[in-house]
Amino acid sequence: MMVECTRYRTSIQELVDGTLGPIRRAELDLHLDQCDGCRALASDLQAIHDAAASLEPLEPPGAVWMQIAGRLRQEGRVSAPSIVRATPRHRAVLLALAAALVLAIGASILLLLPEFRATREQAGQATTGEGNATDDVTVQSVEAEFRLAEQHYQNAINKLEQAAKLDQAAAGGGIDPQTAAVLQKNLQVIDQAIAESRAALRSEPQSAPARDSLFDALKRKVTLLQDTIALMNEMRKGNPAGGAQLVEGLNKS
Amino acid sequence: MIPSKVTAHPAAATGGPAGRAADMALVERCRNGDLAAFEELYRAHAGKLFSVACRMLGNPSDAEDLLQEVFLSAHRKLETFRGESALGTWLYRLAMNQCLDFLRSRTARTNQVTGTLDDEPGLSDTASRGLAERTVARMDLERALVQLPEGCRAAFVLHDVEGFEHREVAEALGIAEGTSKSQVHKARLRLRAILSAAKS
Ligand SMILES: [Zn+2]
Repeated sequence: MMVECTRYRTSIQELVDGTLGPIRRAELDLHLDQCDGCRALASDLQAIHDAAASLEPLEPPGAVWMQIAGRLRQEGRVSAPSIVRATPRHRAVLLALAAALVLAIGASILLLLPEFRATREQAGQATTGEGNATDDVTVQSVEAEFRLAEQHYQNAINKLEQAAKLDQAAAGGGIDPQTAAVLQKNLQVIDQAIAESRAALRSEPQSAPARDSLFDALKRKVTLLQDTIALMNEMRKGNPAGGAQLVEGLNKS
Repeated sequence: MIPSKVTAHPAAATGGPAGRAADMALVERCRNGDLAAFEELYRAHAGKLFSVACRMLGNPSDAEDLLQEVFLSAHRKLETFRGESALGTWLYRLAMNQCLDFLRSRTARTNQVTGTLDDEPGLSDTASRGLAERTVARMDLERALVQLPEGCRAAFVLHDVEGFEHREVAEALGIAEGTSKSQVHKARLRLRAILSAAKS
C-alpha cells in the first residue's frame, strides 16, 4: 500500500455509492491500475454493497396487524371498527354469506342422513327380528346408502378444506397462530378417529358401531371446518365480493 | 411476492406533489378514526419497516414487537403529521428512533456483564486483509450486520440495503448528509473487517 492511498479512500466509497464524478473517477482508475491494495478494497466494498442490495424484503406475520387493530379498538382510538361490526348492512351481508356457505355444503348431507338412518334401522330390525332370513337386497341397499353418505361427507370436507384455505389466503394470514394451532390439533384428532373407524370397518364391514363412529367423526370434521370458516369471516375485514365468489364456486362444483 | 427494489423505495411510492396529497388524504381519514384507512397505511409500509427492524435488531421476534409499537405510536402522532416529508420517510424516522432506543436499552442491559464490543481489539477497519472471495454470501452479511455499532448499522441498512440516498438517510435518522456518508462508509469498512476475520 502506497502512502498516497489514504487520499483515495473517499473516492473508492463514492465509487460504490455511485456518486463519484468523472474527473475523480479517472484519477482513481489510474491509481487502481497500479495499486493492488486499493483495487482489493474497492472490489470488497462493492461486493458488500451488492450483497446488501440483494437482501430480500421480509414479511411481517399477519398477527401483527391483528394485534395493532385490537389495541386501537381496545383503546377506543378507532370509531369505525373493522371486521363484521363495520355497518349493520355489512354485518348482514357477511352473515348471509356464511349461512349460504354452510348451506351449500351441508344441505346434501342433512337431506341424506334421515333417509340413510331409516334404511339402516329397517335393515337392523330385519337382521335381529327375522333371524337369518335377512333380505340380501336390503343389506346391499344399506351398503350403497352408506357409501353414498360417506362420499357426500368426503366431498363436503374437500370443499370446506379448500374454502378454508382460500379464505385464509384472502384474510392475509387470517386467524392468529394460536387459534390456528388449536384448530389444527382438533383436525388431527378427528382425522385419527376417521382413520380408526375406517380400519374397524375394513375388518368388520357390517359393524353398526364402526359405521356410527365413522359418521360421527366425519360430521365433527364438517362442523369444525364450518366453524373455521365462520371464524375467519368474523376475523376478516368485510369482503362481500370475495365471499360471494367463494359461495358461488361451491354451489357450482 | 417480493417487490423490486425500485417499487420498495419510499421516495418512488410517495414522492411528488400527488404522493403528498394522497398521503394527507389518508392521514386525514386515519385521524378520523377510520381503521380501514390505517390498515391501508399499514399494508403500504409495514413490509419495508419490518425488514429494516429485523436487520437493525437482529431477530424477527423483537422486530414484530417493534413494528407493533411503531404503528401504535404512529397512530397517536398522526395528529402532528404536517406533510413536510413523505409519510414513508416520517414512518422510517419513527421506526429508526424506536430501533435505536431499543438497541440502547438492550446494550445497557447486556453491558453490565459483557462490556461493549464496539472497539474490539484486532478489528482495525483499515488494516483488514480483505475478503478471500469476490462475492459476499447473504447469510454471512446478515450475521455481520448485527455486529456493527448501531449508528452506522442504521445508515448502512437504509442506504445499502434499502437503497435510500444519503439525503434521505439523513432525513430518516435526523442527521447531516455528511454524517450519513461517513457512517455508511465506516460500516462498509467494518463489515469487511468482520467478514474477513470470520473467514480465517
Ligand atoms: Zn492504493
